[in-house]
Amino acid sequence: MRRLLVGLTAWSVLASVTACGSSDPGGKDTAGSSGGTTAVKVGVVPVLDVAPIYLGEKQGFYADRGLELELVPAQGGAAIVPGVMSGQFQFGFSNTTSLLLARSKNVPVKAVANGVASTGEDGADFAAITVRKGSPLTSAKQLEGKKAAVNTLNNICDTSIRESVRKDGGDPAKVEFVEMPFDRMPAALDGRQVDAACTPEPALATVKAAGGKEIASNFHDVSPDLTVAMYFTSEQFAGKNPELVKKFQEATAESLKYADSHPEEVRQILTTYTKIPATLLEKLTLPRYPAEPDRPSIERLAELGERDGLFEKKPDLDELLP
Amino acid sequence: MRGSDAALGAAGFAVFVLLGEAVPRLGLVDEDHFPPAGRIAGALGRELSDTAFWSALGDTLTGWALGLAIAVSAGVVAGVVISVVPWLREVTASTIEFLRPIPSVALIPLAVLLYGTELRSVLLLVVYASFWQVLIQVLYGVRDVDPVAEETARSYGLGAWARVRHVLWPSALPYVMTGVRLAAAVALILAVTAELVIGAPGLGARIAVAQTSQAVPEMYALIVVTGVLGLLINVGARAVERRALAWHQSVRGEVAV
Repeated sequence: MRRLLVGLTAWSVLASVTACGSSDPGGKDTAGSSGGTTAVKVGVVPVLDVAPIYLGEKQGFYADRGLELELVPAQGGAAIVPGVMSGQFQFGFSNTTSLLLARSKNVPVKAVANGVASTGEDGADFAAITVRKGSPLTSAKQLEGKKAAVNTLNNICDTSIRESVRKDGGDPAKVEFVEMPFDRMPAALDGRQVDAACTPEPALATVKAAGGKEIASNFHDVSPDLTVAMYFTSEQFAGKNPELVKKFQEATAESLKYADSHPEEVRQILTTYTKIPATLLEKLTLPRYPAEPDRPSIERLAELGERDGLFEKKPDLDELLP
Repeated sequence: MRGSDAALGAAGFAVFVLLGEAVPRLGLVDEDHFPPAGRIAGALGRELSDTAFWSALGDTLTGWALGLAIAVSAGVVAGVVISVVPWLREVTASTIEFLRPIPSVALIPLAVLLYGTELRSVLLLVVYASFWQVLIQVLYGVRDVDPVAEETARSYGLGAWARVRHVLWPSALPYVMTGVRLAAAVALILAVTAELVIGAPGLGARIAVAQTSQAVPEMYALIVVTGVLGLLINVGARAVERRALAWHQSVRGEVAV
């Protein structure tokens, strides 16, 4: 998500330019109506977090409300946040800390629907701090003086790992963080480049299949009901299209509920937009997909982020949340 | 001579594949992270039978071909104009030298802002990277025009256009062809990179999905495909070059040997 920061920087430059000009990023969207249906582009990351929206599209929850979804897989927030802000996408998917970061940098993102949440079970979450097979590390406290891999520095992974260490009685300042993509972490653990890694599924199942162990559920340690990611839009778009946003919110809430109660269909839909091998598919710990974001957990995440010095100024949750 | 070259090439490749099979099997690298060649070949077979793979290949080739076509036309036109108009070369030289080293990938945030994750984003990066390859070669090529030939054409009363057509262009063509060949390779690299990083549809995006899905053999299979693609493009570009320059000394010489 270093790319996100690059994107955000680029966006903030653009924002200042367009603010002076007449060009209107929210206005030339492709959300044109034709024959009662509205085409909506959603930027998503091709991982299990977004299974509900794929499932909801298949179940017709969006079509029922006159929304014709186009799900565009993009490589992380670098493409999605600027894409949404410039109106290429009407909606996007992003982790909560990235949205808080955007808000703290005055990028007007507006969360519209919940995305994905911790399972609420310590030791059985969809993401965990993992160590290699045979590692002497057994608890978060022992990460002091060790190297931990996170996908993006100063984001949700290191904030949550610090909290795990703190809760276990350790000093989070003594953990060294290294940035690498999730998919490289299993190999980096095996190759002893890092001692521990922040691994969500399917990297988690890969590490476990190779004999690695979980030592803490870092998302759960922030809050058992942590809202890990959400769907968002730009403030301009939300202001101009309240009806459309409302329809998207309703359809997404319905999709999330459906996904939460049909785990087998979630696994099934994963085969359509990811390439997760069949052997891993059955072993995946699915996240929960609550219909609504959990505000106290987001407040907690913002607090922890602030303590870690992530934000230039405190993000305003009232502005961010729906 | 040619036959034994081909045989040696094939033997070299066979050894390479055998190494790819043996190294993971012997446990020198972890099979999970670097699967043996056989498993990559299996994954490649599955990819080839998937229609989504072929549409991704089509997307990549579309981005490559369109980008290359734009870059070559723009590069040739710009190169000729800059060379022919007297002071233009001096005026543009510093700007070109400033813009040329900017890595195309550094423009990714800009591409995403302007065009999102669509084909146009890919085109922006591909055109930017390959344009300079062509432009610079055209500039060098024009500089290489024999002044005696140029003066002769002038004294025979050939107009500006006729001189470009009959003197400048044939002299510059070998350089232009080198530029096109380099641009063709660069365009493929940038097309795949753009897809990989931005997520625009194509082989690159498919590699990224395989990567995030921990589908390691599939990922390598797709990487092999991009390699093969690069090879074919280079072979194709050389064939085009040879045809276009069949009359030229360098190529005639090559054939005679």
